[in-house]
Amino acid sequence: MTDVNVSSTPVKYSTEFASEIYNLENGRYVKICMQCGMCALSCATREEMDYSPRKLFLLIRAGKREEVLKSNTMWMCSTCLMCKVRCPRGIPIVDVMHDMKCHAIMLGFTERPQATFYQAFWQEIMNRGRVFEGGLMARYYLKRGWSEIKKGFEMKDLGMNMMKHSRIPLKPPKGIKGLKGMKQIVERAQAQMHKGEGR
Amino acid sequence: MSKKIGVYICSGCGIGDALDMSALAKVATKEYKAPVCKTDAFLCGKDGVEIIKKDVEGEGVNFVVIAGCSGRVNYDVFDFGPSVIVERVSLRERVVWTQESDDEDTQMMAEDYMRITLAKFKNLEAPEPYVGEDLSKGIMVVGGGLAGMTAALEAARAGYNVVLVEKEDALGGWLKKSYKIIPLNPPYADPEENNLDGLVKEIESSPNIKVYTSAAVEKTAGAPGMFDVAIRQGDSTAEERVGAIVLATGAVPYDAGKLEYLGYGISPNVVTQAQFEEIAMKGSIVRPSDGKAVQKVAFIQCAGSRDSEHLPYCSAACCVETIKQAMYVKGQNPEAAVYVFYKDIRSSGQYEHFYKNAQSQGVMFVKADITGVSDDGGNLSIEAQDLLMGSPTMADEIDMVVLANGMVPTTAFEDPALCGEAQAEAAAGTEAPAPAPSPIIKSNILNLQYRQGPELPSLKYGFPDSHFICFPYETRRTGIYAAGSVRRPMDMAQAAGDAAGAALKAIQCVEMTARGMAVHPRSGDLSFPEFQMTRCTQCKRCTEECPFGAINEDEKANPLPNPTRCRRCGTCMGACPERIISFKNYSVPMIGNMLKAVEVPEEDEEKPRVLIFACENDAIPALDMAGINRLSYSKWVRVIPVRCLGSLNLIWINDAMSRGIDGVLLMGCKHGDDYQCHFMKGSELAGIRLSKVSETLNRLGLESDRVFITEVSIMDYDKIPKIIGEFVDRIEEFGPNPMKGF
Repeated sequence: MTDVNVSSTPVKYSTEFASEIYNLENGRYVKICMQCGMCALSCATREEMDYSPRKLFLLIRAGKREEVLKSNTMWMCSTCLMCKVRCPRGIPIVDVMHDMKCHAIMLGFTERPQATFYQAFWQEIMNRGRVFEGGLMARYYLKRGWSEIKKGFEMKDLGMNMMKHSRIPLKPPKGIKGLKGMKQIVERAQAQMHKGEGR
Repeated sequence: MSKKIGVYICSGCGIGDALDMSALAKVATKEYKAPVCKTDAFLCGKDGVEIIKKDVEGEGVNFVVIAGCSGRVNYDVFDFGPSVIVERVSLRERVVWTQESDDEDTQMMAEDYMRITLAKFKNLEAPEPYVGEDLSKGIMVVGGGLAGMTAALEAARAGYNVVLVEKEDALGGWLKKSYKIIPLNPPYADPEENNLDGLVKEIESSPNIKVYTSAAVEKTAGAPGMFDVAIRQGDSTAEERVGAIVLATGAVPYDAGKLEYLGYGISPNVVTQAQFEEIAMKGSIVRPSDGKAVQKVAFIQCAGSRDSEHLPYCSAACCVETIKQAMYVKGQNPEAAVYVFYKDIRSSGQYEHFYKNAQSQGVMFVKADITGVSDDGGNLSIEAQDLLMGSPTMADEIDMVVLANGMVPTTAFEDPALCGEAQAEAAAGTEAPAPAPSPIIKSNILNLQYRQGPELPSLKYGFPDSHFICFPYETRRTGIYAAGSVRRPMDMAQAAGDAAGAALKAIQCVEMTARGMAVHPRSGDLSFPEFQMTRCTQCKRCTEECPFGAINEDEKANPLPNPTRCRRCGTCMGACPERIISFKNYSVPMIGNMLKAVEVPEEDEEKPRVLIFACENDAIPALDMAGINRLSYSKWVRVIPVRCLGSLNLIWINDAMSRGIDGVLLMGCKHGDDYQCHFMKGSELAGIRLSKVSETLNRLGLESDRVFITEVSIMDYDKIPKIIGEFVDRIEEFGPNPMKGF
């Protein structure tokens, strides 16, 4: 557990950052959190998180913008859904976490490796309509930079083994039929989502 | 009425296998000369009951002894009408299920229980009910707030005449001072409109309700069924006779003047919940200082509540009220910032929806300890320690701070005109080891003409005392029921429910009293204490010790019993040194005969005898449950049930000791502030009496530890073998009672 004490200056509960979050697709649920801590108790990856989901919600209300968006909490969420099942207020915490990831990427908080992975994955999908593992790896490492590529080479034995057992194909797969149509669907959905924002 | 005893022994449920039935029957026929004695294998079956019925009708048996299961089961099966007295010998739960089968000592135990029950009959009569003269079935409700009005309406709807007394010039109480009220109906999400006018109209149009406004109760004399009340209204005084009283005088807010540490008084913009309600009623919520519409409001919860220096208790209603008032602000301006600083949000039950709705409207709830409230030139700021963030927190530029200042029952205030006397009395009664008299705060509400004092006894914080779990409405004055926030802090929905409950209790009281029955806890009991006044020495112990103030004093200083006030616990019977108080079916000689019926073996037989006086409310069920769970305990004990340990008369201990019984164990209920005793003071009084007997025992050369009092709750059945075992071990260490054989 790496619960960092936020800061020693008095916390001021401001609505500025909170309302930014409340306006996300599932952001309004953050309001009704009653801080019981059932999510933190149920979370499988709580030990790896900077803040538990409960504390993350509290920080949102307290207007701690940087702390929230830079934290790894949402990135560590494994979407096991235990918190959503148990929340006495019925908050879909997993969905809120997803919104938080999306929001962080949009605002450029992409230092986390998970963020890069999400972005690489998405680009792969949008390119072919399906994922090519080699392409995903390449995109990920190129984005992360030289030091990460070095780390990647350390795993070459594992990669070779996987290739031998046809776990990683050598050739990229063909794109799906109607790739253009899929892109249109995604674009329209995104446009709608952005229109919805600002609620 | 001639007594004809019929003894019926059941051999079912394994009793027949474990005991010698014919020897048992011999005890009844030879020793006690019972004219009818029959044995059946299935007495609670149709044929078994038929045998008894035939004897009751044909042979004229009117005293039926059923030796089989405990009196706590099958009581409806063995009911042969009011003219037949039924006594039960619990062979199953207390002997067969707890002792070894086919054992000499088990047989002795069963025979002793047979003797104990049969010995009862010598002093046992069928009770005749006491029905007072000119009984009223009317109900007086004191207090015309939400609880009082609801109680009056509920009783009136049930067809009872109601007298409603309100001190102000119009009905309504706090309801009259509320802009909106908390939701009382699903979906419990938004404040409801205040329907005071509808309630008042319904009361005014009800032919059964007589309303006295600007009135006070000057005097309440009499007893349930015949309370004579003088109601003063201006200069005139009206007389009313009622059967029962509902006390619904409610509570008042805690004095905010003592809350300076939360900023009360530093600025006109720091207000109490009640003041905020007044502001809201005027239409728009503006700052008292300059009339500016509020932009930022902070509520401070538990202002003076749950604080050992102010109110140690939770006032239960403030959280929900604050949520309501926060919604007023949000309703006026959805953009306004509303903070609630809380210890715990206690919006119990359906009010979780209310809380959730306030949160979704954007009310900010902060769990924090307030460290300071200050005025920075017009605006206020709050500093606090945030308990969830673990760091200090602050909110500034606040327009208004609202303090949730809790409630104090109206019964907690001594009327300055009446005090003075009380202190002198308290100081005088410090010598003897007597129970601390329950404080009777002279609050000038009911002005009872009771010897023990003019108001209801309180337990803590000025709330009227009642058995909180089993009999919440029943105060320590029979026929007077507390409802609403005078009973305990509560919100409006609870107060309305409470009022309906208390109204039902009042109805039960007038109906039972009209039939000459006890109301509670011994509902339906027809017996009542009778005083053999020629031998009374006017020691006043009965009048002092009665937990319910049932006994007044006449002009010659003799005790003056009020049977309809009585709860039939027998505390007076236990208190009387002259033993002149007895019930038709429960008396000092009756229990005396019962304990003398126990056969005490000679010293050289090495079979000690230990007597257990067990309270019928908790200890007896616990003993039965120990039997049901087949927990075995010592074979030397003999249990005698008593109505309450408060009815324990010391002569029983003397008798037991002089008969050679080796030890006496008293099983009563928990006492103290969270007492379990159904008669409030029973086990406490027994303990005090016992402290007096130990001296006598020591003088006789007997160890005073041979008599021991213990507290057992109904849930303690699993501890019964240990409690009994430890006591018997101790008695065996002392050796046999030297009085044996004298």
